[in-house]
Amino acid sequence: MNAVLKETAYAAAPLAVHGLTHSYEGSSVLRGVDLALEPGSVLGLIGRNGAGKSTLIRAMLGLLQPLSGSAFVFGEPALKLGDDAKARLAYVPQQPEALAWLTAQQMLDYVGRFYPRWDTEFANRTLERWNIQPNKLLAKLSPGERQRVDLIRALASQPELLVLDEPAAALDPVARRELLREVALRAGESGTTVLFSTHIVSDLERVASEIAFLHEGRLLLRCGVDETKERYARLWLPAAKSAAAPAQALSRRRHEDGSLSLVVERDAHEQWPEAAKLAGARLDALGLEDLFVEIAE
Amino acid sequence: MDASLLTIQPNAPEPIYRQIVEQLRRLIASGQLGTGDLLPSVRDVAGFHAINPMTVSRAYGLAEAEGLLERLRGKGMAVAATRRASQTENQRLALLEPQLLELARHARELELPAEPVLRRLTRLLDD
Repeated sequence: MNAVLKETAYAAAPLAVHGLTHSYEGSSVLRGVDLALEPGSVLGLIGRNGAGKSTLIRAMLGLLQPLSGSAFVFGEPALKLGDDAKARLAYVPQQPEALAWLTAQQMLDYVGRFYPRWDTEFANRTLERWNIQPNKLLAKLSPGERQRVDLIRALASQPELLVLDEPAAALDPVARRELLREVALRAGESGTTVLFSTHIVSDLERVASEIAFLHEGRLLLRCGVDETKERYARLWLPAAKSAAAPAQALSRRRHEDGSLSLVVERDAHEQWPEAAKLAGARLDALGLEDLFVEIAE
Repeated sequence: MDASLLTIQPNAPEPIYRQIVEQLRRLIASGQLGTGDLLPSVRDVAGFHAINPMTVSRAYGLAEAEGLLERLRGKGMAVAATRRASQTENQRLALLEPQLLELARHARELELPAEPVLRRLTRLLDD
């Protein structure tokens, strides 16, 4: 029964992986990842450098064959994706892709013909706004400019599924804000499903509806952005009270003076652990960045 | 009202939808927004601040449920007629609950007994 339910959920999800593992030269990068995206959701993927974010994204899209596990795009096996499914998705990798012998304008005119919903006006307008010389060869553009052209290509195709790997790296603050606006409005109004990885947590807090925290090849946390902020907090206990610390904690750090910092979670009745009520205990709400630093350390 | 009147701090511990409701409450309480004033559309707020439209909808929905806003057919959201008089004492007290919880938490952290805190609070309220 469960398996059947799972199958149905996977068929409906624009993007879904199950039991994904992968390794490079014998060292594990993904250690069993399950992840499915709801249509119209914006999932922010976060994790330290080397946590496996790009590998996970590539495996989700069928761009690499995982050691074990399965990946589906629009319900089709990701490794054998049909042209129809490919036209409905757009992926911007960290490293710019081929076609370097064309100018930005030529490339966009060329690829535009393969997408039924190509938005020429958006492509031309955004080239100008993001300071790309349309007649310069892609090979002569800086890596940042190349990624901006790739982002324009991805957005102009008006995909149902948009996958961005560290899009912020190539953009100045103004262009980054514009990209976030595009992502937010498209998800909200056209129902575009978005997966993006970033190390800029505030970007994710603006537009993501959910976050997934990848740590050492495992998903440590998968939660709505608002729920995460309301559900977790840092509990600090003075040395004298540290023995009363709850057994369950997402992270636990002992300070030099014997005091203790823990990341704790509300229980099923919305209550914080009992220890938070002890005299001298301190409970601090956490922004996502602080939460991740606490957990990842 | 213009979407720029809201300030969004994405990295604050407080979720963005709560930041919006809190600011609407303050803008209304201070009279900067009056009964019948139209709110910017969800799209305007989401676009201006580059935030997820669902977050804005959630904030507006919550503000509507609290009686701060009302939905006008064909026009969108507007500031609701002040219902302060018609709200029961308990309903009004419930609006203070987050601040009261916060106060109680701080008092406990400082290991202050209830009595001096209540004494001080009473004096503040009488002013």
